[in-house]
Amino acid sequence: MTVKDASLSTLQRADGSAKCEHDGYCVIGAVNGPIEVMRRDELPEEAAIEINVRPAVGVGSPTERHLETLLQSTLRRIIRVETYPRTLIQITLQVLSVPDVKPTPVSFLAVLPALLQTSLLALLSASIPLTTTYTATACAATSSGDLISTMSLTSAATLASFHVFAFTAQGDLLLAESEGSFDIGIWNKVYLTAEEICRGKPTDAVEDIIMDQQGNSLQERLQAAVQSKVEADRRWKSS
Amino acid sequence: MANSTSTSILSFPPQTFAALSPSAFLHAHLNPTSSQSSSTRPNRRSPTEFRVPNINTSSLSHANGSAVVRLGNTAVVCGVRGEILKAEDIPKTYNDLAKSPDETDEEKELNYTTIQELGLLVPNIELSTGCAPQHIPGNAPSAATQSLTHRLRSLLYTSRLIQSSDLRIWSRPANSDIDPGREEEEDEGQDRAPRIKAYWTLYIDVLFIALDGGAFEAAWGATIAALRDTKLPGAWWDADREMVLCSDQLEESKQLSIRGLPVSATLGIFVAEKGRSAKAAPNKRLMRGLGDSGATHHKQEHGAEAWLLADMDAFEEELCQEQITVVLDYSTGKTKILKIEKNGGTFVNIEEMRHMLRLAEGRWIEWKNHLEASKR
Repeated sequence: MTVKDASLSTLQRADGSAKCEHDGYCVIGAVNGPIEVMRRDELPEEAAIEINVRPAVGVGSPTERHLETLLQSTLRRIIRVETYPRTLIQITLQVLSVPDVKPTPVSFLAVLPALLQTSLLALLSASIPLTTTYTATACAATSSGDLISTMSLTSAATLASFHVFAFTAQGDLLLAESEGSFDIGIWNKVYLTAEEICRGKPTDAVEDIIMDQQGNSLQERLQAAVQSKVEADRRWKSS
Repeated sequence: MANSTSTSILSFPPQTFAALSPSAFLHAHLNPTSSQSSSTRPNRRSPTEFRVPNINTSSLSHANGSAVVRLGNTAVVCGVRGEILKAEDIPKTYNDLAKSPDETDEEKELNYTTIQELGLLVPNIELSTGCAPQHIPGNAPSAATQSLTHRLRSLLYTSRLIQSSDLRIWSRPANSDIDPGREEEEDEGQDRAPRIKAYWTLYIDVLFIALDGGAFEAAWGATIAALRDTKLPGAWWDADREMVLCSDQLEESKQLSIRGLPVSATLGIFVAEKGRSAKAAPNKRLMRGLGDSGATHHKQEHGAEAWLLADMDAFEEELCQEQITVVLDYSTGKTKILKIEKNGGTFVNIEEMRHMLRLAEGRWIEWKNHLEASKR
């Protein structure tokens, strides 16, 4: 779990953009909106959300379509779509790099936290009204039930299950995608760990805490990334 | 609300009500004004009642395995066809770790990855059949179709349903003593160990005849039923002709051994809309009513209410933003979860998830009984 680098408004010509590195996946995203919508996709009472995910190598496959569907249903809940009826909010996400070391089997979910995080920062950068913010993280578990930090994964590691969780700023579970083989006990444990990574709330139920050196939660890092952008924008005023 | 229409001057039939204001229509069904009547969905099911699956196997004559599954008004046909992939045709030289056709269970476990590395399972879902108005027939696969295909494919691989050992085709060195191609065999000399000459590739095609919600559950149910029905003919490598031959004897064909019985259950959360603003209001959840009593209501602080609906039909799917799909296997007596998908909302938390898993366990028993009945 690391967000090494998160920056807002990295692209000049898009309404909003962001670049984010998460678990070794680097994603750049652009948001355009509200813009004109095609008649076919128009919704009378809310803005349509279009998401394009481009993989690091090659053209999009059904995997990308599925990731787009996941992002779409999540962001529809986050963006205040009723503010812009009969318009389109277009989000384009390009995966720039994938980690060199990958565990087996490679889960398609591994890239999801980076995509979620980038699209949120890009939406913030585009000043699209949102109901709340969220943070997302990935967790892996072995067959014995041990949790592995997704950063310390080696190619030798054999995973029993892979999980992605996203929490809103209020602490509600926004998204939970798990695959592999596990039971409710492991899921519970992963849930608490993921909550801790995202929200930084100390929960004594979890013994093995997966935290990096700084001990910052993703929520704090997200705030820091946005804060640095705002400070940069307002430096003419504060000086 | 249903009663109030009789007193009001403006009165219209239920179908019109459903078309004009679907959310209020569903809410009126779930929240009846009279205290005696319980919540019933427009399709006359109770909120946590699943549709009974109707399974028919071996319906297609030219497929290795097939099944027709009906789930209410959703009807799916699944056909499994085995095709042969010759080892020499694999572009990159692939080193299969399996040493002989007779593997122990541990070896099978260890050499499982072959199936994934070579992509020996090829599922495809077809929705452009005129099954539902939103899927225009004859069109290229829509995003929904591709997403569904991906979910099916990833579950087929992560559930480790099929064993790689069933799909390997070996050479038969023992039989080659009398055949005239012996000279060539001699060149290889000491190498008499059986070798993998080809693999079975399973093409799993799922065709939707009619779609009324529960697409993934129906597709997965049909896939499982079809795979359980699949028989692959006995195949061997013929050294003379340098090709794989298949036996037409039924006795030599082999039933695929399916590991476990994963079953999918889909649930949705319906939030009663109190105007557009209620949706945007922060969801401070209060509900804790989801106990063992099977109470199905979620209550919310801001006056909005939420219901848990099992196995939604197309009308309900439109209204339930938050949807949960659970795939679990209970065949060992212990709940093994293979997949949890939850997105689109913030109502479900640990407690609700536990409740849903209990519902899914009940669903597993239902599917198991129907799958076993269809075998006979």
